[in-house]
Amino acid sequence: MKWIYLAAAVLVLGAAELVAQDVFVKIPADLPGKNPLEGNSEAITAGMGAYRVRCADCHGMDARGIRGPDITQVWVRGRTDAALFSTIRNGVPSTEMPAHPAPRTSDMDIWRILAYLKTMAPATAAGPSSGNATAGEGVFATNCVGCHRIGEKGGRLGPDLSRIGVARARAAMARQIRGTMDDFRTGFEPVTLTAPNGQEIRGVKKNEDLFSVQIMDTRERIQGYLREDMRAVTNEKKSAMPAFGGDKLTDAQLDDLLTYLESLQGTTAAPAAGNR
Amino acid sequence: MFRRSSARLALVALAAAVFAATLAAQNAPPPLVSAQELLDGLKADGSRWLTFGGDYGNHRHSPLTQITPENVNRLVPQWVFQTDTPGRFETTPLLRDNVLYVTGPLNLAWAIDARTGREIWRYKRELPPTGGLTACCGLVNKGFGVLGDRLFMTTLDAHLLALDMKTGNVVWDTTMADYSKGYASTIAPLVVKDKVIVGVAGGEYGIRGFIAAFDARTGKEAWRFYTIPGPGEPGNDTWAGDSWERGGASIWVTGAYDPDLGMVYYGIGNPGPDYHSDSRKGDNLYSDSIVALDTETGKLRWHYQFTPHDLHDWDATQVPILADLTIAGQPRKVVMLANRNGFFYTLDRTNGKLIVGKPFVVTTWAKEIGPDGRPVILPGYVPDEKGQLTCPDVTGATNFWPPSYDPSQRLFLVNAREVCATYYAWKQEYVPGERYTGGAGQRARGPGMRAYGALRALDPTTGERRWEFEYISPSTSGLLSTASGVIFSGDAEGNFLAIDARTGKFLWRFQMGSALHGTSAITYMLDGRQQVLVPAGTTLTAWALSDVPRVPGTR
Repeated sequence: MKWIYLAAAVLVLGAAELVAQDVFVKIPADLPGKNPLEGNSEAITAGMGAYRVRCADCHGMDARGIRGPDITQVWVRGRTDAALFSTIRNGVPSTEMPAHPAPRTSDMDIWRILAYLKTMAPATAAGPSSGNATAGEGVFATNCVGCHRIGEKGGRLGPDLSRIGVARARAAMARQIRGTMDDFRTGFEPVTLTAPNGQEIRGVKKNEDLFSVQIMDTRERIQGYLREDMRAVTNEKKSAMPAFGGDKLTDAQLDDLLTYLESLQGTTAAPAAGNR
Repeated sequence: MFRRSSARLALVALAAAVFAATLAAQNAPPPLVSAQELLDGLKADGSRWLTFGGDYGNHRHSPLTQITPENVNRLVPQWVFQTDTPGRFETTPLLRDNVLYVTGPLNLAWAIDARTGREIWRYKRELPPTGGLTACCGLVNKGFGVLGDRLFMTTLDAHLLALDMKTGNVVWDTTMADYSKGYASTIAPLVVKDKVIVGVAGGEYGIRGFIAAFDARTGKEAWRFYTIPGPGEPGNDTWAGDSWERGGASIWVTGAYDPDLGMVYYGIGNPGPDYHSDSRKGDNLYSDSIVALDTETGKLRWHYQFTPHDLHDWDATQVPILADLTIAGQPRKVVMLANRNGFFYTLDRTNGKLIVGKPFVVTTWAKEIGPDGRPVILPGYVPDEKGQLTCPDVTGATNFWPPSYDPSQRLFLVNAREVCATYYAWKQEYVPGERYTGGAGQRARGPGMRAYGALRALDPTTGERRWEFEYISPSTSGLLSTASGVIFSGDAEGNFLAIDARTGKFLWRFQMGSALHGTSAITYMLDGRQQVLVPAGTTLTAWALSDVPRVPGTR
């Protein structure tokens, strides 16, 4: 099969200006430039089911983004059907967006999903977000950098945020920061180990099985422990990340911080791909 | 002095004689694998493993007793074999005359020296050009069948091959179906007398399933049983319109064989499209059923449908196990199957009548199995565009990983899953070779929705649970049990596990680095030491007790 290389823009969200990083992915030469199933009612129905099962967990039932970004805005920001097809087929590197290879996912499966998504896409783009990214960087340096890394700087107990602007919806980041998000990302579940002498080791869980648990403790030591060597291994209910309520972070500060985080598109050194 | 040295001399002479006799025995070529040998199943001397389930009843229960609950913690690895390819083992290796015969992923197969793990020959069948294969669920294979000096193997492009045991060369190659139309085959053949019985898969791509028998000598087809009846045949009217033509009903796992009754028993796959069923109104026979076929003619002797008009992809691709039990004071010949739909069944294998039908995991779709043998359906059973929460999930209460049966304790052992799902359905047009499911299931998450797995020991006369061993997540490992009361299992995190069959208590573990998936360990004797062979990921690892000496040439 003849291949051409096409520079496909990665999904972006929130920011009015597109600062998409170009990733090179293979798109077959015979791939239609336009969705052949657009407007086809049966394809839309099938696409809805497939979307709900395979995409809605991260992008939301309304596609406005939960953990993953808002994907109703992609067309008004100038992305083409072929580029979106390629994003679904190949995934987005260094984010949680997986590839969907054939034969498990056929070309038609992808076109159906896009046909459905198109029905939810607005005709015009959402307005630019408020907030000052430079001020937001200051908020980050004061409150977040101890645990979160951007490029070469920052802690490693929490997720690397170098590409968080690509990977997360603004609203999802806001909920996480305010402490109203109830799920933990894999690899960051809070855990407390209690040694036989009663000493406690707090950290986040990197892996586990019936007999052992592997953690990063609050001093960023990565270490595995046998359950039989511990008095208790306790899965904590509250995230290792403190909640930043209104008393710690004003609405204006949060706005600035979110705008800063949205600008993080990973254009500097490539970070680790989210640990797992 | 004289006496002692003469005694020593005598000893040396005796040892030499024993060694010579052993050598002679070793050098004598073993007779060809006979139909009788297959009938005999696993022998107490541990000299072989010749069928998918060890015996025709699919017990996966070894008579060997060298490894016990007390000493299992002294197992040490003997060797590791690596495939050096992507893809993983889902195979049950065969053993004869100290040689292992193993199928792997990507149409690969090997003969391997069981003493050292060294390859003797390797077979590879080229896969069709990229994009041509539509094998639903992994480019895997479940193992060889054997008869005479031939091995039988199904291929991903829906062929059946006979290989020469000594060389791996192809003796004959029979096309079973057209892979470009979605047909594939991954099943381990069941050899019965002079016939090789196999089936085809592809139910997610709109095929019409069948079980077929081929002449072991020539590869010529002897009979074919379509798992969906054609026009004019009984049961065709259980499919609306022409939906029978592409209704799926695949064959994924090897059946059981009762030589006295002359029947083979096979679990049948789901109807297609999986979730959206308007196009296939009716019970959809023989999807989600067990069928008993006459081994000589392939004619249907009886059937029992576990899930009439399935909407959840709950195919009956679980390994059927045969046993002779006393139930309510009566001796019964039974076939047992722990089903993906959440119920455990014991049926009379002479006529297919239900004896026991009882949930072995949380089930929300059926209240019970009624006296007529049909499930009593509960509300919320039908998936739709909005989604319906139902237990079990799509992968099911258990699936294609083989259970085992310990007759001495009357324990049916199965790796069960406790997971629920939201099921969606939508209308889908059939396009040949395209995935044809009409919906999907999504694992349910959230507070109170714990998803986990457990090894459960069931009493097949009642369906009651005797004990369980819990995993932190659902396991997809098959099971091997032994007469000494050790069960070998695996968890999804890659631990190879030994569990006490009497109590369900943990005995021993080893982290393999990859989970046992869809298959179990096998066990046999070699040079006086009981071996446990574990297929996990891309490796085979042989284990034996560290403190048992090798006695070359003995069992």
